Amino acid sequence: MPDTSVTSTVDDARPLKPSLGKRLRKLPLTLYLGGTLVSLFVLVAMVSFVWTPYPANKLNLTNRLAPPGTPGFLFGTDRAGRDVVTELMLGARNSLYVSVVSTIVAMFLGALIGLSIAGSRRTLQGPFTRLVDAGLALPGILTALVLAAKLGPGNTTATLAIITWQVPVAARVTIGPARQILALDYVEAAYGYGRTKAYVLRRHVLPNISPLLIVLGSVMFAAAILIEAALAFLSVGVQPPTSSWGRFLNETQSLLEAAPYLMFFPGVAIVLTALGFNLLGDGLRTVLDPQQARTGVA
Amino acid sequence: MLHLRNLRVTIDDHEIINIDDLALQPGARLGLVGESGSGKTMTAKAIAGLLPNEAKVSGEVNFDGQNLLTLSDRELAKVRGKRIGFVFQDPARSLNPMMRIGKQVSEAIRIHTDLKGQAVTDKVVDLLRQVQLPEPETLLRRYPHQLSGGQQQRVMIAAAIAADPELLIADEPTTALDVTVQEEILRLLISLSEQRKMSLLFVSHDLGVVRFVCNNVAVIYGGNIVEAGGIDSIINHPKHRYTAALLAANPGMPKDDNFSAFIGRRLQTITGSVPPVGRFPSGCRFRNRCQHASEQCATTPPVTTSTPDHRYLCWHPEQGGQS
Amino acid sequence: MTSSSTQHSPLVAVEKMSFHYPRARITSGGTGWTLQDISLAISLKSTVGIVGESGSGKSTLIRVMCGLLRHQQGNVRFNGKDITEYQGDGANELRRQNQIVFQNPRRSLDPRMTIRRSLTEPIRALQDRTPDDDELVSSIKRVGLGPEVLSRFPHQLSGGQLQRVGIARSLSVNPTILYADEPVSALDVSVQAQVLNLLMNLRDQMGLTLVMVSHDLGVVSRMCEDIVVMRHGHIVEAGHTSDVLSRPSSDYTATLLKAARAASLERS
Repeated sequence: MPDTSVTSTVDDARPLKPSLGKRLRKLPLTLYLGGTLVSLFVLVAMVSFVWTPYPANKLNLTNRLAPPGTPGFLFGTDRAGRDVVTELMLGARNSLYVSVVSTIVAMFLGALIGLSIAGSRRTLQGPFTRLVDAGLALPGILTALVLAAKLGPGNTTATLAIITWQVPVAARVTIGPARQILALDYVEAAYGYGRTKAYVLRRHVLPNISPLLIVLGSVMFAAAILIEAALAFLSVGVQPPTSSWGRFLNETQSLLEAAPYLMFFPGVAIVLTALGFNLLGDGLRTVLDPQQARTGVA
Repeated sequence: MLHLRNLRVTIDDHEIINIDDLALQPGARLGLVGESGSGKTMTAKAIAGLLPNEAKVSGEVNFDGQNLLTLSDRELAKVRGKRIGFVFQDPARSLNPMMRIGKQVSEAIRIHTDLKGQAVTDKVVDLLRQVQLPEPETLLRRYPHQLSGGQQQRVMIAAAIAADPELLIADEPTTALDVTVQEEILRLLISLSEQRKMSLLFVSHDLGVVRFVCNNVAVIYGGNIVEAGGIDSIINHPKHRYTAALLAANPGMPKDDNFSAFIGRRLQTITGSVPPVGRFPSGCRFRNRCQHASEQCATTPPVTTSTPDHRYLCWHPEQGGQS
Repeated sequence: MTSSSTQHSPLVAVEKMSFHYPRARITSGGTGWTLQDISLAISLKSTVGIVGESGSGKSTLIRVMCGLLRHQQGNVRFNGKDITEYQGDGANELRRQNQIVFQNPRRSLDPRMTIRRSLTEPIRALQDRTPDDDELVSSIKRVGLGPEVLSRFPHQLSGGQLQRVGIARSLSVNPTILYADEPVSALDVSVQAQVLNLLMNLRDQMGLTLVMVSHDLGVVSRMCEDIVVMRHGHIVEAGHTSDVLSRPSSDYTATLLKAARAASLERS
């Protein structure tokens, strides 16, 4: 007697997720390390808005080049007697501002371009991708210098330079995964009930590449920090009296005899922050990938 | 030849496999049949020593008298390939797309035999010929993507038998292939097994395919062998309720071309679905899906032997034969 | 041409249709075409199985027939009208009446959408309204699942359950014809049996026309009164399943049968 009952309950579904405690313990080390460094950076930058040990740019001509540990100056002072800790905090603020703005804009524009290319006609995809590659090949520093020549140095120039540099990266990275998703059955099903390609890109492709974008974002943040510092170092970025790690680093160059230790402060700050973002990105990738690997983007 | 005894595999405190006794004679072909979540692939991996790190294994995997579970990694690597060959499901994934066919097959020869130079190439050509690939001399210079699925699988088989193993383990080797190609590959496996007196462990979800290839079959559910014996005996007179249900659910092909009687007839289904790991009921693992379960089934049924050739684990077995 | 009822006008009529993928290179010898010179007819409420091996073009055929792919030669008519003439609102109506169920349950649902959301998509897109929960619950019950699956995500359901959701989704807009592309190939035997029974029941309940692509002759012999055998983009043979399979007129069909029989269980 054929049994045509088709009962099946959700109890037959995948086992429940392990407890929160177990999941937290399984998180990768890079996530914790990166997360800590990044939080530290953001915290310092935020705090600088309400408090710094000394007011910005307070010169202390009597206490120039004081070594670290001098009472009242934990990390010492620079050539003009400015407190190093204050300088670092204010520099963090600047780096944060530039990297947030440039990364958000670059990711938005890059993803837009990448998705559009992935969704365009097959015959057009090749040439457009080559255009993006050409953008990638543009030397970033050179673009920055040209921009500085036209617009003058400053944070805006630095931000624009970083955006120009990073948009092709974001675009290039999204094209591949977006195309993969467009080839999946659920996209075909969406066309099957009349959805337009634009809708599919917005509502099916974009959410499914979001883990990728999150990881990309953190790596782009790291790059932005480094580029901003480099540009300031080259005197193309922000100018005095605004503080910047890059400019600070530049100043320490000429002090190698008088105060060789001084370059470590901005240097280490730059390295740790960039490293923090990279580690965070790496950790996020490990966490987000396995869950999505079978169902979203590999 | 191969004898599994008290093999238990646990992962994360869940018992994945619990096999008291499973044997494969020299030159025989045994089918290991189960659905997804049955543990059939895990069993093959346990024999091969390819279980994930988190798995805890105990018991015996006796190969020609030696318990493979007690061997070190290096000793096991020597056994794998030389005495036990493997063929997996998707040849496109097991073959290196960047390496020529000839090179991939010759690797197996180089590692496990003492042959060198021209002798190796000659052996490669000979192997390709044995798996019935046309023009082997030209073929060995080709890349995998230039071959069809069926040809790729033949290459995999050639590599697997290169060192003349006594046992070949094939895990769903024809599932990804077209039906006409499948028939050819299955016939190839049968002839290789007969000519070389090579045992074959054929892991599959498809009872029809297993009937074609194997002389014996073991049905696995929830990590337990619920029934085992000669292929005809099991298919015509299944005893365990799961085996019977699996046979009834199989669409099959109509006897004597009686297609008109077939059309529109509903298939017999098994209520529910395979529970995920850790969610099996106590006692007989099939009892929450079985029409004939009783309170007794909460304790594990003993091994019952209906004929010397046919054993099963069921308190309320099928009576009579299968129609 | 196949026809198992006395309808004078078939639901879907394909005449000398040929199709190639956009970037395919067409040679004078005729290679490059995925489908060549296809002519067939599907009658209302019939069940047709399209069988063939890989490369036969069977999956492409159903996509051209339901209008997802545009053919380059010949014509395809749905309900008497050329499918290229369904524009604007008509296009939506064509989509509504032609639905597809896909092979791989894990790829046919957006992993980031809840089942509820996936089920509401076709109705929102084609009927411009959002169904209420009652409608969704009856939709999900019709395929043998409980309402608790609505708030789940695809990765929390098994393959068989997902395939049922896929069927529920395509039936939610009450299509006239359901195309199923290897709907059970990715499923275990016991789950396969459940889904096949489900399809047969739903077809009878809803008066659906069912066109099923399969490589499995056993499955097709169970479900389909009519059969179309394809090879390399051509139709080799077509007719009533019992006729074609018990007395195949083509050698290729005979070869397929022999191979299928070899690896199948004989049932009466």
